[in-house]
Amino acid sequence: MNSPAQSSVLDISDLCVAYSARTVVDGVSFQIQRGEIFGLLGPNGAGKTSTLSAIEGLVSPKSGRLLVDGIDVQQEPLDAKARLGVQLQSSSFQAELTIEQIAKLYGGLYGVQLSGEQIGASMRTIGLEQELGKRFKQLSGGQQQRLALFIATIHNPLLLLLDEPTAGLDPQSRRGLWRRIEELRGEGNSILLTTHSMEEAQAVCDRVAIIDHGVLLTVGEPSELIDKHRDDPRVLSVAHGAPTLEDVFIGLTGSEIRD
Amino acid sequence: MTNTAAHTARPPLRLAMSSLLRADSIVLLNSKASMAISLLLPIAILVVTTFGKAQARLGGSSLIIGLALTLGLITSSLFGYTLTLAHDRELGVLQRLRVTPAPTWMIMASRLVVQVIANLIASVIVVIVGSIVHGLTLNAGQYALVLVVAVLGAAVFLAIGQAVVGLVKSTSAVNAISRLLMGLLIVLGLTGGTGLLGDTMKTIADWSPVGALMALFSDVLSQSPWSGQDTNSLLACVGYIIVFAFVGIRWFRWDSR
Repeated sequence: MNSPAQSSVLDISDLCVAYSARTVVDGVSFQIQRGEIFGLLGPNGAGKTSTLSAIEGLVSPKSGRLLVDGIDVQQEPLDAKARLGVQLQSSSFQAELTIEQIAKLYGGLYGVQLSGEQIGASMRTIGLEQELGKRFKQLSGGQQQRLALFIATIHNPLLLLLDEPTAGLDPQSRRGLWRRIEELRGEGNSILLTTHSMEEAQAVCDRVAIIDHGVLLTVGEPSELIDKHRDDPRVLSVAHGAPTLEDVFIGLTGSEIRD
Repeated sequence: MTNTAAHTARPPLRLAMSSLLRADSIVLLNSKASMAISLLLPIAILVVTTFGKAQARLGGSSLIIGLALTLGLITSSLFGYTLTLAHDRELGVLQRLRVTPAPTWMIMASRLVVQVIANLIASVIVVIVGSIVHGLTLNAGQYALVLVVAVLGAAVFLAIGQAVVGLVKSTSAVNAISRLLMGLLIVLGLTGGTGLLGDTMKTIADWSPVGALMALFSDVLSQSPWSGQDTNSLLACVGYIIVFAFVGIRWFRWDSR
């Protein structure tokens, strides 16, 4: 457990993740402070989801140390998971369960017992009160995303991990999610999110890290990164006018299209 | 979202387990097609075999009820448990459960417990229908033994299902293999065990999962004294459980990618 002086909710040191002989995360280190929104940016296949998977306990790192609130993820995975809220990139809930049943299931798994009234009230705040009795498979993509975020925060976690949370959402839903992320930070939660959207990174993240080929290229506040790399020839070569965060991103990670 | 202080404690195991059991029971009860097939197929066999000389050809009423019970277990295990597991894996349901503080053994145990209970209820219904249509009178001890053998049978077919879903990642391939496997096991049970295909096939059938279970069910229903064949059948079932469960657990992947 952290002492008051230690304010890191996540401390990653020299993390390496490999699938067979292929290293996908190579020596990544960063910390996330309490109440901070941290964005992990990178092209497809850069190592963002693998980094998150290691924190979530879905993959075992080849080496390195992962501490959540001072708890070693590999030594005490269940204690670490109790402190995490997770929204996976392609997660789903049992299609046959209704929203209320899903909320009760995940509430129970996180040690939170919810009454029907409490679930109803929570659904009102995210605009799903009319869908309470609907099964997961009957919800639209945006509704599923809102439910997934509700479930990820059902136990008010210390650290919320969001893997491309706004992918596939319309602008209204995306703005709604950004507002919710800001609210969560206001409630004292720390958030680690991965995204492809520079607009999103600049709008909601206190600090961002750019990762490519499993290696962390740079970390800092969005404005800091722009200042730091504004004279980099790779950035200047892709900038149209004053460099933006997207120019920094493309300058550092290259212009080729990734699948 | 629901409380102001950040949550850091692991949930009580009992609460986590009861939440999983409730959710898995709801999912199973909503899988009406799978439940109907695993009850309708055995009952259809029980009814069809009352006509003509089928009962005598298939070795008598005890063997027929044993066959019906075994097929019910195969159907619900391969189409209920195995396919649901493969489907949930493909959709990411298992990964979502795995990032919660519930131990992974609990996620699987809950599904298995619910499936075994469903199998037991289905087995009791099949025995009751079978004893009515085939005119068999059973005492309480026989019902209890049928339940014991049904648990053993459920374990055999759930282990086979676990091995299939452990070795094969694609849901559609799991579906196809389960159907093929079920067809083979039914043919083996219906023809091999009766001796219609010769002695070699009968020996193979006797040692097969279907044959071994049919023998145990049949002897329980006919109140036969414990025999060497029963010992062999029991050993075969235990062997299948150990081997297939090992394969299913060793090679199981939570993610289909």
